[in-house]
Amino acid sequence: MNRYFLFPGLIIIMLLSACRDKKSAEVPEPTPYEINIPFAFPSILNIPEDNPMTEEGVQLGRYLFYDGRLSGRTHPDSLMTCATCHIQANNFEAGIDHPVFEGGIVHGITGKTTHHVMLPLTNLVWNRSGYGWSGFIYPENDQPFYRNLEDFVWLAVIAEDELAGDTTRVKELFQEIDGYPDLFLKAFGSSTVTFKNIQRAIAQFVRTLISSNSRFDKYLRGELQLTQSELNGYVLFTTEEGADCFHCHGGGGNPLFTTHLFYNNGKDTIFNDPLDRYSVTGNPMHRGAYKAPTLRNIALSGPYMHDGRFATLDEVIEFYSHHVKLSPQVDPLMHHVLRGGVQLTTQEKADLKAFILTLQDDEFLVNPDFGPPPLFPDQK
Amino acid sequence: MLNKRYCILSLSLFLLAACTLDKSEPESGGLLVLNIEHSVQQNPLVVDDFLYTNEAGNNYMVTEIQWFFSDMELIDASGNTFTFPEAEQVFYVDTDIEATKEIKFKTRIPAGNYSGIRFIFGLNEQKNKSNRFVNPPESFMFWPEYLGGGYHYMKLNGKWINPDGLTEPFNFHLGIGQVYETNNQNYASYTFGEANCYEHCEGYRPGSILPSVKAFIHNYFQVNIDDISFSVADGKQTNLTLEMKVENWFRNPHTYNHNQWGGSIMQQQDAMQMGCENGHDVFQVKPSE
Repeated sequence: MNRYFLFPGLIIIMLLSACRDKKSAEVPEPTPYEINIPFAFPSILNIPEDNPMTEEGVQLGRYLFYDGRLSGRTHPDSLMTCATCHIQANNFEAGIDHPVFEGGIVHGITGKTTHHVMLPLTNLVWNRSGYGWSGFIYPENDQPFYRNLEDFVWLAVIAEDELAGDTTRVKELFQEIDGYPDLFLKAFGSSTVTFKNIQRAIAQFVRTLISSNSRFDKYLRGELQLTQSELNGYVLFTTEEGADCFHCHGGGGNPLFTTHLFYNNGKDTIFNDPLDRYSVTGNPMHRGAYKAPTLRNIALSGPYMHDGRFATLDEVIEFYSHHVKLSPQVDPLMHHVLRGGVQLTTQEKADLKAFILTLQDDEFLVNPDFGPPPLFPDQK
Repeated sequence: MLNKRYCILSLSLFLLAACTLDKSEPESGGLLVLNIEHSVQQNPLVVDDFLYTNEAGNNYMVTEIQWFFSDMELIDASGNTFTFPEAEQVFYVDTDIEATKEIKFKTRIPAGNYSGIRFIFGLNEQKNKSNRFVNPPESFMFWPEYLGGGYHYMKLNGKWINPDGLTEPFNFHLGIGQVYETNNQNYASYTFGEANCYEHCEGYRPGSILPSVKAFIHNYFQVNIDDISFSVADGKQTNLTLEMKVENWFRNPHTYNHNQWGGSIMQQQDAMQMGCENGHDVFQVKPSE
């Protein structure tokens, strides 16, 4: 009796096993993408469990990041994608001298200007404190669509002041473009294009955008010596009685050059921006507070502050030196506020700027892995 | 066939019984949970509100406190010391991060009666090394190399009402202090006082015109709690509360006046030393209720 059950059972198991083998032969597992942690950088990364980094995912994300059809449109006048504004040579920002986005103030495909100016896409794999100037996208958010970089991709595609796209149209368009379904198959195991996988792929690519080889990095690693002016600037940067930048913007012990946290830095005394940090926390003390952006490649990241009120680094240094304003909400770390700022001399301002310029990573700005692909999948 | 079944049944029962016996034995040693609280005048700390007046008469508020303690030891009734292993020797506490305010030690502690606790406020010379912590929030506590390197022992940030009635920020930051060259005007020979506070506080400048740093001073200190009695039992958990009495940073033996020291003290060893000397009665440990 048992034998009659045993043989059909074995046959079914063998068939199932064969099927599984056949499928795995057709769709090889994607190759894990390894991030090498640079010297002194955090070892904990913001990579969600449901979107592990893979070589194939990053490659697909790079195509999508640079493909103007991400707007869901194909007419040459209607193309728009992440790279339309996030330009590698400008620290993945538009740049103050952009021919279309005058003064670096960007607008979406409809012509509507974004509420805040851009933030760079640099070293975001280490950001675990919220995205955007207010940090409204953060991992613990009760709203499931506002939790991580993947959600920012979704938001950028549908937002009226960005791509003003339709997710269904976008995924259907990429389904029809030669080469893309195969890339989705390799990255995510299915040739059916989903918008969720578009989000995942672009987020994976953005997480590879790591800047860690500036002159200051080389100085930290003992590979070169900074000039006397740069060293003076470094001391000013990291002393309370100097320029006092380090508590919010890091230094040798925090080479991200940001805490990714939010501060009212004394720009104003009246706060009426509906999208400041208060809009996220509901704490009245957080009115007028915004993310401290990374200072890596900051010379290319103008205009500065959440509203782009300063066009140049010199203007920013001048502000922190002489024009900080007292309000009940000003952050305690702005302890020079009663004097209007840190009171740098002309020479000190020059030294401080010289140091800040050592944070520019020229290799990052031209790294071909982060640039546009030579050809898109349907151009092969 | 029947015998074989009896054998299997007997073996299974034996194994089950063995497992049950194992489980019934209490594990050697007990676990310790340390709950961290911050208080002012015996009430839980309330942040972002001008509720407090220190001994110098400064009306002040606290916005956040971030600090390290390390090398905690327990002293039993016989005077024997229990030291935690390396992995459980440094802890970061942050009033904004709930998870940092409950420390569950993984190491089991020998059962017995204990009558004392010791720990280091901050980090000692061996532990206070730059790049020890690469991950936030601990890495955000770094103390600049120029000022001695390592990490802040504590950032206690807030604001006070100054004599002009203005709200002024203070950063009561403790860490490694500096000794500057004395052949120029420098803070070591400077006369402090309200009148020249700003000039002093803002007067520091790096480079050739400045006195250079000739030495560093480690300001960490050991906290001794000897007015406590608690027991640890095998297989049980003991809960203790470590309380920071915030107002005590500004009193006993020194009356710390924000109007004198200004908003920033990382480069004022005298102020940091005063703060650390006030630290002797800042902490209290008691069995949790």
